[in-house]
Amino acid sequence: MSSNKWLRRIAPVALAAVLAGSTLAHAAQVTLLNVSYDPTRELYADYNAAFAKYWKAKTGDDVKVNQSHGGSGKQARSVIDGLPADVVTLALAGDVDAVATQGKLLPLNWETRLPNNSAPYTSTIVFLVRKGNPKNIKDWGDIVKPGIAVITPNPKTSGGARWNYLAGWAWALKQPGGNEASAKEYTRKLFKNVPVLDTGARGSTTTFVQRGIGDVLLAWENEALLAIKELGPDKVEIVVPSISILAEPSVAVVDKVVLRRGTREVAQAYLQYLYSKEGQEIAAKNYYRPRDAEIAAKYDAQYPKLNLVTIQDFGGWAKVQKLHFGDGGVFDQIYAP
Amino acid sequence: MSLRVGFAGVLAVCLPLSAAFAQSTDNAELLKRLEEQEQKLKILERKIELQDEAAKAATSGAATVRASPSRFSLQSADGANVARIRGVLHFDGRRFSDDVTPATADTWLLRRVRPTIEGTVNNIYDYRFTPDFAGGRTIILDAFAVARLKPWAAITAGKFKVPVGLERIQSAADIRFIERAFPTSLVPNRDLGVQLGGDFKGGVINYNVGYFNGVSDGTSSDNNTNPDVDNDTHGDWAARVFFQPFLNSESFVLRGLQFGVGATYVDSTGSTTTTLLPSYRTPGQQTFFSFRPTTAAAGTTPASNGTFADGERLRITPQFYYSYANYSLLGEYVDLKQDVTRVVGTTSRSDSLSNSAWQLQFAWFITGEEETFKGFTPGSTFNVGKPGWGAFELVGRYHVLEVDEDAFVGGAASFANPANSAVKASAWGVGVNWYLNQNVKLSLNYDQTEFDGGAVSGTTVVDRDDEQAIFTRVGISF
Repeated sequence: MSSNKWLRRIAPVALAAVLAGSTLAHAAQVTLLNVSYDPTRELYADYNAAFAKYWKAKTGDDVKVNQSHGGSGKQARSVIDGLPADVVTLALAGDVDAVATQGKLLPLNWETRLPNNSAPYTSTIVFLVRKGNPKNIKDWGDIVKPGIAVITPNPKTSGGARWNYLAGWAWALKQPGGNEASAKEYTRKLFKNVPVLDTGARGSTTTFVQRGIGDVLLAWENEALLAIKELGPDKVEIVVPSISILAEPSVAVVDKVVLRRGTREVAQAYLQYLYSKEGQEIAAKNYYRPRDAEIAAKYDAQYPKLNLVTIQDFGGWAKVQKLHFGDGGVFDQIYAP
Repeated sequence: MSLRVGFAGVLAVCLPLSAAFAQSTDNAELLKRLEEQEQKLKILERKIELQDEAAKAATSGAATVRASPSRFSLQSADGANVARIRGVLHFDGRRFSDDVTPATADTWLLRRVRPTIEGTVNNIYDYRFTPDFAGGRTIILDAFAVARLKPWAAITAGKFKVPVGLERIQSAADIRFIERAFPTSLVPNRDLGVQLGGDFKGGVINYNVGYFNGVSDGTSSDNNTNPDVDNDTHGDWAARVFFQPFLNSESFVLRGLQFGVGATYVDSTGSTTTTLLPSYRTPGQQTFFSFRPTTAAAGTTPASNGTFADGERLRITPQFYYSYANYSLLGEYVDLKQDVTRVVGTTSRSDSLSNSAWQLQFAWFITGEEETFKGFTPGSTFNVGKPGWGAFELVGRYHVLEVDEDAFVGGAASFANPANSAVKASAWGVGVNWYLNQNVKLSLNYDQTEFDGGAVSGTTVVDRDDEQAIFTRVGISF
């Protein structure tokens, strides 16, 4: 048989063999990467175990969720730069917006895809002080006094820090004669009292609680309650300021990644399960404020009562990010390391 | 007496008390100062801790020497200056299973041997230098600099790809078939020139407009009689505009749709020695069309009867690319109008010929990777003895090149000889690509080409026999 005839016969067979052999069986194990903000380690450790059990029972597949934690802004930047997150669970909608607009990794209408503008739980900002409150810190005005060391992360990298900043700003605006100029001056004084700027909220908790630095920690409510639980109420206590802000951490599927990895179904289910009774209960047990009215009522006693403003009172994250935290914004104007 | 006793008694009580109070105040003051110093020390320690963490993170991202699957690079600490070494090596095999292609065409060959040095200076100026050593010769493939003044204004100068043909624009490492399809035969390859281009709206609109020396269809300026030297009196204008209107769409189904149009224009005249006209080749790189060359007639010196370009050459190529998840579809159409002249004896004939080519190409990553026009990230890699098979991709295409029938009119005075030039070539091809990792790709293609005309039986023009070509490639790119 001539080589040409041999080739004529073998080539289609070879191609067919490759086609047949290249069909892969459906994978029984799925992995997801959840890129989250700093203080959610304990929450997602509990939640991931619960979701894996739920998903196994529902589909028979094993799902392993890998976690990445850090300052919310920093995490958003990592995802934009290529960290292959199947889902992001960040401290604020503005950071997820950045992933959508700068990274073009998910659609601009991502907030509408899950209930409550894709914020399955909320939190707020409180003060954590040393037991006995030796510096007698009661409200936002006390923390700008000379000699008070305030611990808060860097608003450039941390979502929690941006909530802290806005809560203080809101207080300053509500003072007699309060206006943008006086709020700016207040914020300048506040950050003058900050000796260490961590990149994320968990870092600030470490600075205050483990390293024993500072007189007051501006903390996520859930972080503060966790600190009391883990350290003991004889070490630190919560002071509830007269005004704070409703912090709405946001969650989203990263469409470009799940499209490539074929994980859309499980990623969507992973976020939707946050809204289930079990998901909401886990959030509450980790001191986040659940959206589910029944679960919220069950855990109501553990949350201090607060007078809250919202991000809408500031005109939304797009406006706030540009005005306060963008390059050359108010924070850059008032803070010099 | 009693007064002195009383005074002494008061002194006896007050003195110790005051001493104790003073000592207590001193202690409290000392304690406060001690606590302040302790806090300062803790703050310093914490700052050092955070600086160490930041330095560790910064070190991994700001390596001055970096080696990865996508590049070897040297980079300044601020990233403003970078030098990268890249390369493409293509080792091909061609085997023909038809009875018409000569056996000598079956061959192994080094198709591309292209080291590249490229980089950025001062964050704004890019450069690239790429020689090619394949085929036993050395040419300068690319040598250009780019000044990225604004996202919408980048000036390129040197030798580079004329931005017209869609599959031509796609890099050799990214093309899905081993040989590009027929439309690429009608558009320019690389040429010397200057170009202005850029993006609007973050890439939704991309444009390029440039002025080049001008090259024949499918060729580069190194194919000129004097390589990389202008071989005519006028330069070619080239322009292309390309849209990705749904780049930021909420619908991921639409995001992968891209389309545009490119064009070139020149009004130039060749000669019988420098015709400025092309030949067209099959996927197997066998010539199936060429214009009549200059031949020496018996007893006549010099002969002057070859066809040459004489007037306008206008190319217009609408094109699109669509990708969604692991599928992609590429399509382009080229319409070429070329004024030609041929002098036979004392008779001069001129005409405007209209050639065209089109293709539709489909690609499918059956292992689930995302199809993109540029670049690729495999979901797994193949290493013997370890899990993972890399990525598999199936490809298919249909492409056609059609020459103006007027090229064959005129008998012996025609512009092209129907006895050895086909008026049409239609080809279909299938293939499989196996990406072992981001850098190594094995390819297997089969292309079958049918012809209208191009051969003769006796004195009758008949269809040239089909070409049946099997291609293999071992490709390494980094």
